[in-house]
Amino acid sequence: MTKIGLEIHCQLTKLESKLFCSCKADYREFKPNTNICPVCVGLPGSLPRLNKKAIEKATVIAMALNCKTPQKIAFFRKNYFYPDLPKNFQITQLNIYGPTSIGQEGKISVEGKEIQIRRIQLEEDPGRLIYEGSSERTQITLVDYNRAGTPLVEIVTDPDFENPKQVRIFLNILSDLLENLGVSDPSLEGAMRADANVSIEGGAKVEIKNINSFYDLEKALHFELTRQQSLAERKIEIIQETRHWDDKRKITISARSKEEEEDYRYFLEGDIPWVVIELDIISRLKKGMPESISSKRERYIKDFDITSQVADVLSSDKFYSDLFEQAHDQKNAKEIANLITTDLMGFADTKEKRKESKLTAKHLADLANSIIENKITRNSSKNVLQTIVKSGKSVSQLISELDLGHVSDEAELSKIIDEVLKDESMAVEDAKQKPETINYLVGKVMKKTKGKADATLTLNLLKKKLA
Amino acid sequence: MVSKEEIEHVAKLMRIELDDHTVHIDRVQKMIEYFDILDKAGTESEELIINEQPLENLREDKYEPYGDRLIDKLKHYKEKFIRAPKMV
Amino acid sequence: MNLGISALDYIEAIKNGDFTIEEFVFETFDQIKKVDGKLHAYLSLNDKALDQAKELDKKRKAKEKIGSCMGMPIAIKDNICVKGTKTTCASKMLEKYTAPFDATVIARLRKQDALFIGKTNLDEFAMGTTTEFSAYGPSKNPWNQEYVPGGSSGGSAVAVSALESVVSLGSDTGGSVRNPASFCSIVGFKPTYGLVSRYGLISYANSIEQIGPMARTVKDTAFLLNVISGIDPNDNTTIDNHGEDYLKDIDSGIDGKKIGIISEMVGKGTDNAVSSATKKALTKFEDLGAKCEEISIDMVDYSVASYYTITSTEAGSNLARYDNIRYGFDFDLEGYEFNSYISKARRNFGPEVTRRLIIGGFVPSAGYAGKYFLKALKVKSRLTKEINSAFKKVDFLVAPTVPILPFKFGEKLDDPVAMFLIDFNTVTANLTGKPAISVPFEISHGLPIGIQIIADAMQEKSLFQAAYALESTTNLPKVPL
Repeated sequence: MTKIGLEIHCQLTKLESKLFCSCKADYREFKPNTNICPVCVGLPGSLPRLNKKAIEKATVIAMALNCKTPQKIAFFRKNYFYPDLPKNFQITQLNIYGPTSIGQEGKISVEGKEIQIRRIQLEEDPGRLIYEGSSERTQITLVDYNRAGTPLVEIVTDPDFENPKQVRIFLNILSDLLENLGVSDPSLEGAMRADANVSIEGGAKVEIKNINSFYDLEKALHFELTRQQSLAERKIEIIQETRHWDDKRKITISARSKEEEEDYRYFLEGDIPWVVIELDIISRLKKGMPESISSKRERYIKDFDITSQVADVLSSDKFYSDLFEQAHDQKNAKEIANLITTDLMGFADTKEKRKESKLTAKHLADLANSIIENKITRNSSKNVLQTIVKSGKSVSQLISELDLGHVSDEAELSKIIDEVLKDESMAVEDAKQKPETINYLVGKVMKKTKGKADATLTLNLLKKKLA
Repeated sequence: MVSKEEIEHVAKLMRIELDDHTVHIDRVQKMIEYFDILDKAGTESEELIINEQPLENLREDKYEPYGDRLIDKLKHYKEKFIRAPKMV
Repeated sequence: MNLGISALDYIEAIKNGDFTIEEFVFETFDQIKKVDGKLHAYLSLNDKALDQAKELDKKRKAKEKIGSCMGMPIAIKDNICVKGTKTTCASKMLEKYTAPFDATVIARLRKQDALFIGKTNLDEFAMGTTTEFSAYGPSKNPWNQEYVPGGSSGGSAVAVSALESVVSLGSDTGGSVRNPASFCSIVGFKPTYGLVSRYGLISYANSIEQIGPMARTVKDTAFLLNVISGIDPNDNTTIDNHGEDYLKDIDSGIDGKKIGIISEMVGKGTDNAVSSATKKALTKFEDLGAKCEEISIDMVDYSVASYYTITSTEAGSNLARYDNIRYGFDFDLEGYEFNSYISKARRNFGPEVTRRLIIGGFVPSAGYAGKYFLKALKVKSRLTKEINSAFKKVDFLVAPTVPILPFKFGEKLDDPVAMFLIDFNTVTANLTGKPAISVPFEISHGLPIGIQIIADAMQEKSLFQAAYALESTTNLPKVPL
């Protein structure tokens, strides 16, 4: 049986400051080595100052993943030498003296399969290495410590995944969850990274590191599974080792020597006393947690009769579900949900487009209500939405400007249909053999009425007349 | 008894090049041997004492730029980067 | 002008106009010129000190208020960061390192207008008990220059003892303030762990070390503690002392107090001269109205092993950052690979630091951590429990600061375990986080002996009362300079 486990690192990009100092948590806007201080560069005499909100946010993540959260948490030192590690040790969390990391023994459901979360820990990100020129030829690496000290939450799963597809779905669920909690923006470059361990039936566990994106992760998993399966077929032993993902050649390569010999000499971080998280703080954090995606999804289906596909899409998008919450009432909820998922998300999809959009919750409510009150057809809504996003004009203004009334008067519509039938005598003949030709005729009616014809009424009238 | 090989291995782990191993090794062996006295203390069941602080003690999450151009005071390259030899 | 004046008397003298700050600082530098060539207390001097003194005098003349230290000369151990000064930890690894920020204690002293005279010598990275391990040469004991001044804060002790400064700051990890204070016949005090901020103290063993004031009188150390102590947001391990005034009621005496003499610290291995001095001290305590009894603390016998195991582990980690990549000394990295470069650069550590780093890599390593490091932590826990029980029975614990008299240079260099055992009486206070002070008590054959008093955590006020009381019974000769 194939077993895949994950080690995911998520930056808490929504925090203001780093884990142990007051430099900015989101380093992306800074010129090299301008978001640093004595603490995150590890200067002699500097000491870590733990960020309270980081503990709170990490606790919330642990709770969202159904973890146990201990009352006292501790930090440890992981000692090793690397150019991007300013102190040549990383302050991280372990559970070697009992449960002391921010969360343990959680679980999350992925398409019906329960994935066990072994532990969640808080730790600091190292700096970034930059290679001047081609990385093969140069002997020197340049180091930028802007990222050093950025708060990371590491999530370690049991090897419960059975295939790469499950992994992909899990990562999407996790991204949405973190975004929904307001702790991280997973779309930022480098905000979420993952390492994996893979084993197949009868083979040892192989660790895969150095994977830079979720897309690469899936590729790496496929490659590694194929590699292991081909070894097994040839009855060659699959040895336990660490392999690196080579991004250029799209293969995993053995990296055994370095990793095996490393001895991290873990011990408690004496500069950070254990943090006591009283039960009343836990309940305050729990109460303040935003509604979970699954809870929203259930609510949309149950309370507003929204279809499960629409509910899936809407609940897992924080930006739009927030907009939905602001816009809807009991009557127009379903319509608004459809407008968002069918039309709006299609063209206001990127972060920039969403930021620039001039559409407000009121626009959505007005539009939905206009459709429900038959002031405008659903067909025209796409055009209207696009115009609102660009111009911000009100719905009523646009209905008159774009001449978007709703033709639902049966007599008027009947007259127009007769005209169309006269013009389209060939289609009328076809419709007798191929009933689906009626859609073509509906389209012609729409064209003639500039989309204002009531679709259902048109279809019924056409059917009557063709019969 | 700590062996010479173990001490050489640790020196490598600690990234310290020792040219004359024996000079240090003798003394390090003596020092570590002294620690064997810990076996006689009879403290196997002892619980570790914990230094604690309440969550309220911790730093507020605020961005405060450091102010000084710290990179100028370190060994810098093109006033922007720190240089390091590549890890092979 | 009496350079041997106490800090409090100095402040009074300045207030009274007996002399100006500039005059006093000038004389101080004169003294340094006279004696430091031989004694080598200082690694570097503040060439702006005289100008700074002039500035303070100007302010006073203009009736402007200046800080409570009144321009008092203070010497700072060179492992404490003073902004803009070379801070070398007496190591070649930091030969070219200039601290870009002030330690919290320095900022607080600066605010009170103390005058930094210079940075003092120490055992490299504070690892040692004699200052013989300084990469820049040892300091000499002013009482007899063939003898060690103690360590690791040897330079700070010599500066105060040889009248090259009024007061100084040292750091105490296993006795490094108390030991040289005892060897140089001055007062040396180690606070409760967490009372004084370690921000800006270059870490050696961060779970137990503290910065400590060193001076010629007990009151002076209490005065300095008032300036430097208190909670610091830059150091998560500091505790709030609610602005306690350590000078207030310092002369209350110790009538009715109970004193426990730690039997493990006066037994085998104690020099005769030290034993008899200790007995005399106990008599003095009883004259002052205290009751003395013997108290046994079993774990003391394992404290040195526990101490060196824990501190070398922490040192191994705290000194890992010294790879000469970001700061350090000149050494071109062209042609090297990362690991070989830093391994070569780290040859610049002296022999004792090298040995401690190897031990520090060994004892917590996979396979040995259970045998050494964890056992050492458990001894530390049990020792703390035992000393807490002791403080339920007595108010203070007493022992000689060092079991032996000061010794000649080179005497202990060949025997690492003998070197360890110099700390036998002092590490307990560090491992358990308790405040402890060394009071100069006697000169025996020209060599100083200090008596150590230990109190329970955050009981500095009573500790100073006991120390002051003991000090008032002594009448020591002046340093023979």
